[in-house]
Amino acid sequence: MRVSSLHELIPYAHALLVWTLACGRVFAQTAPTTENGAGYVPIISGGAGYVHNVTGGGPTLEPQVGPVLLAPFGRHVLLESRTDFTGFFQRENFTSGPFKGKVFTDVEYAQLDWLADTHATIVGGRYLLPFGLYNERLEPIWIRNLQDSPYTASVGTRTTGAGDGIMMRGVAAQTPAMSLQYSAYFSAHCSIDQLGAARSAGGDASVFFPGLRFEIGGSGQRFLEDRRISSGAAYASWQPLEGSMDVKAEFDGSYYGHGYWLEGAYKLDHASSYRAIQKVQFVGRMEQVFPQHGGGNGLPSIDNKRFDAGLNYYLKDNLRLVSSYGRNFNSQQNLNIWNAGITYRFTIPLWFGEER
Amino acid sequence: MNRLAGFACLLMLPASLLAGPAHQAKQPARGTVADGNPSTRSSAGDRIFAANCSRCHQAPMSLSRRITGTVVMHMRTRARLSREDERLLLKFLAP
Repeated sequence: MRVSSLHELIPYAHALLVWTLACGRVFAQTAPTTENGAGYVPIISGGAGYVHNVTGGGPTLEPQVGPVLLAPFGRHVLLESRTDFTGFFQRENFTSGPFKGKVFTDVEYAQLDWLADTHATIVGGRYLLPFGLYNERLEPIWIRNLQDSPYTASVGTRTTGAGDGIMMRGVAAQTPAMSLQYSAYFSAHCSIDQLGAARSAGGDASVFFPGLRFEIGGSGQRFLEDRRISSGAAYASWQPLEGSMDVKAEFDGSYYGHGYWLEGAYKLDHASSYRAIQKVQFVGRMEQVFPQHGGGNGLPSIDNKRFDAGLNYYLKDNLRLVSSYGRNFNSQQNLNIWNAGITYRFTIPLWFGEER
Repeated sequence: MNRLAGFACLLMLPASLLAGPAHQAKQPARGTVADGNPSTRSSAGDRIFAANCSRCHQAPMSLSRRITGTVVMHMRTRARLSREDERLLLKFLAP
């Protein structure tokens, strides 16, 4: 089948969705229960939100929704997909005039997972590139503590943040005190609109100490198009105080430059007996980026330093108000960056399976 | 910018009014999975849940049993959990 436009795929996508729902109904009725009562019905999950951003005096309106389809086939095969719809509207004359912009659609991933065993989950299709902490874990709007991505989030994730091909991931070794986890992938070049990816290979490995809630790891990528370049990252993540505190740090480097970010967040879960105070989260981040060879490819062309301070408020565990102030420094211009908005995580079962 | 700060304060105000003191909190609903109290974190599944969820995001307070299997499959792939972790999580979330 030759496809000249993504629009031609829409009928097939609908057919796939109907088939998925039909299968979901079957699995909802026949899902194995073994020792527990867990259900395996298909789900539409994901995040939605709205962020009002003001950078250097220019406002930007950014509504977003990112639905995730999860459709299990038995207990070892999972179809999962996320498409982000992100609006970006700015005033015509930066600070004055009507808002103009458009909604961008990005298929972030559409993959089939075969949970073969502890040591290997085989992933085929379009997947998020496992590089550092940000791209695979922290990118969804309802997860990130600060709404702006770090400068170095583009390192190791060219060209679209996703790969089209195959990936193997899982647990290489595990004891009660630690878990050695890995991901390894190969992506082919793809130029289909919204499914674009570069030819690349890479991987990620980390050691997680569950007792300490501490993780340390590293990532690498070899970009196999045009100029063949290597990128690397080293990161650490720590959640002390029963998870109330979250500390993350990452260093990224590539041919085009290097940089780091350090982020800390503290939610006042145990700091007060008042629920209103327990729902408050303070966030801080500092980062620096040092471009080389002219920068570009997602990095700025000159050195930058930025500080952010955020205040989030969890109305519910899946609904929160977010706000932050940032100050960016470089040799040409210093800027204030403000963000205020709301984020929401939703989970909608696609079949009204029986509550066991 | 003052307007934006005022907007943020307005957003925060109803939030604080909606919330009351801790002793007025509702009893955990069926399927509640994270009460935040370390003294009640006794099972291995609870510890796995608490430790792994918070690596990326705030743990959900409740999860319907009929979607638990699907969610845990998703998290096993995303968080690179072992099969034993998956089994203990299912036992904890949907006993």
